[in-house]
Amino acid sequence: MSGSNRIFLFLAPALLVIGAFFVYPILLSVQMSFTDFTGVGTADYVGFANYDRFLTRSKYLDSVGVTVRFTLMVVVLQTLAGLFFAAMLHRMPAIRNFCRAVLFTPAMMSFVIVGYVWQFIYAPYTGGLNALLSAIGLEGLARGWLGDPSTALVAIAVTHVWMFVGYTTAIFLVGFANIPTEIEEAGRLDGAKSWQRFRYLELPLLAPSFTVNIILSTVGTLKTFELPFIMTRGGPDRATNTLSLEIVNNLFGSYKFGFASALSIVMLLLVVTVAIVQNLYLKRREDNQ
Amino acid sequence: MRLSASILAVALVSGLGTGAAFADKTVLDVTAWKGNEAEPAGLPELIEKFELENPDIDVELSYISRLDTDVVLPPRLQGNNAPDVMMTDMPLVKVWSDAGLLADLGTGSAWFAKVDPSLKPAITNGDAVHVMPLEIIGMGNFVNVGLLKNAGIDAIPTTIEDLKLACGKLADAGIKPLILTGSFAAPLFVVANGLENADGVAKPYGNMERQFAGDEAFGKALDTIRDLIDARCVDPAGQAGLDPWSTALTAFKSGEFAMMPQGAWNISDFSTVEGLEFAFAPIPSSKASGVALDLFGIGWSVSASTEKMDAAKRFIEFFADEDNLQIMLEAESAYSPFTGGRSGTTEVTAAYDKARLDGGVIMYPFAVLDWPKPLEKEIWDSLTGFLLDPEKSNDEVYERWDEAVEDS
Repeated sequence: MSGSNRIFLFLAPALLVIGAFFVYPILLSVQMSFTDFTGVGTADYVGFANYDRFLTRSKYLDSVGVTVRFTLMVVVLQTLAGLFFAAMLHRMPAIRNFCRAVLFTPAMMSFVIVGYVWQFIYAPYTGGLNALLSAIGLEGLARGWLGDPSTALVAIAVTHVWMFVGYTTAIFLVGFANIPTEIEEAGRLDGAKSWQRFRYLELPLLAPSFTVNIILSTVGTLKTFELPFIMTRGGPDRATNTLSLEIVNNLFGSYKFGFASALSIVMLLLVVTVAIVQNLYLKRREDNQ
Repeated sequence: MRLSASILAVALVSGLGTGAAFADKTVLDVTAWKGNEAEPAGLPELIEKFELENPDIDVELSYISRLDTDVVLPPRLQGNNAPDVMMTDMPLVKVWSDAGLLADLGTGSAWFAKVDPSLKPAITNGDAVHVMPLEIIGMGNFVNVGLLKNAGIDAIPTTIEDLKLACGKLADAGIKPLILTGSFAAPLFVVANGLENADGVAKPYGNMERQFAGDEAFGKALDTIRDLIDARCVDPAGQAGLDPWSTALTAFKSGEFAMMPQGAWNISDFSTVEGLEFAFAPIPSSKASGVALDLFGIGWSVSASTEKMDAAKRFIEFFADEDNLQIMLEAESAYSPFTGGRSGTTEVTAAYDKARLDGGVIMYPFAVLDWPKPLEKEIWDSLTGFLLDPEKSNDEVYERWDEAVEDS
């Protein structure tokens, strides 16, 4: 058997699985996006009507905007928080493992539990956050965190970051571990302070960790559904209505499978575009370090 | 050897006998979003009674939540693997019957003859009937009678003017008067008052014969909300985004608020709260009766592809029996969908019952398909936005409703 045939033979099972469980469903979704399918019965072809509705009704474009804003907030906050914790723990080996486990614990909890717990923390009348603010003399800052469109998305983003900062920290800690100790020692011998070692030695060498963290958190957050669904159902007044929520509402609330498929294709294009652009930029940055 | 052969023979005969017993029994696959520990609705008891009266039928009840029903059942229906009997509501009946997936139960049955005339048009599709209704449940105003007494209020308010007076007294006594969440509570209020102003006629709004924007009846309903805000009934900014299914319920149960529009299905939960003295009343409106906003909630439908039609029909007809249905109605604090039927309500719902008798009933338009389902979410979202900015014009709110109807 020739070399190329052998390669194809070994690749075939994986290609089959990818084709059956990834490519085929996408092609089906594309096909369904041109119909008025309600989930049962027959699907009638409606041309580009679903895409036309997406482009001409501002509420759907607003959902894309909400999704992008939410993703930006989560990625920036989570990356910075993860980097901060990893930098601290890198310098505190005695408590590193314990703290890493503590930081990782929220990620092991169910979205439903996290959503409901934080919903009560943010509750305006009986919530823990407002009670804490009142206790420390900051009752002026107390508000309906999830009921105010200007704070609802940020509140959910904070919950999301709280849940997944452990992942980001763990990836950065691996990055720190991969930095040769000789470089750290050379920096110390040259009289560099802790901040200087971090800024000029460690940060550039953490480029691969940045790439992994940013791409993973971006792709994951663009598709986010659970926390907005549980905490606000997309409210108040669509302030937290992400594209995923819009898809689910059209699928199971309005039985508009055809239109929901069109929204899914839009989301797929968004995620793929962002992932490609990010990957190109971050890889180039890595190579330049 | 002889002993082993005897044992084998006995085992064979027993197996055949058991097989024969199973072969005589029909196993009916039933799905419902009631019947679990949280919402038993009398189903476990009723199924046991049905099986006693019908020893040739075994009922296998699978609890599937209402949200999961949208996800789990359509593939089964499409794949010819549907349950025999399914709990449904009108939005599901519309989609599934249009696709030919539900059996026509016929208008000739004894139970159809006694369905309340207000429900018959909703459940009939031409000559076909695809659902047997089980209950009508109230959506009204929960009132913490204890808090009202603390503020010196003896009567439960059923008119807007009485409500505004009560709010003033409650606010003066340092008691938060009314929870009006943007999702669910405020929509109940606006829909009830808007439809009452429109003489209860909902259908024209749902098929674009009438528009909400510029409509006097619904314009007055939003003005009523503004009046309630001015009368210190509502803290709109604080409540607009409250979750009506969790934090708002907790706030009412803990005695934070005196009144809250919600559904009667909360009665059994509220009854378990120690020290909570409450009543279930109509939604206050311009008429003395208030509005009893009735929801046609659930019914039984039969799969068109079932091979156990006879057993399925016997199951459905069992629930049409007044005594059997009463068990469910009492568990749900609901009303019978049949003319002259009893109710499962208690003295807690006395004010709501009175409103029904005084002609205050308006059917929730989504449950009888007068309004398209996508409009419901838009109403919740737009009224949340309205509560956050009550200076918004009525047209700004209602144009979104019209757009949702147009898109459906």
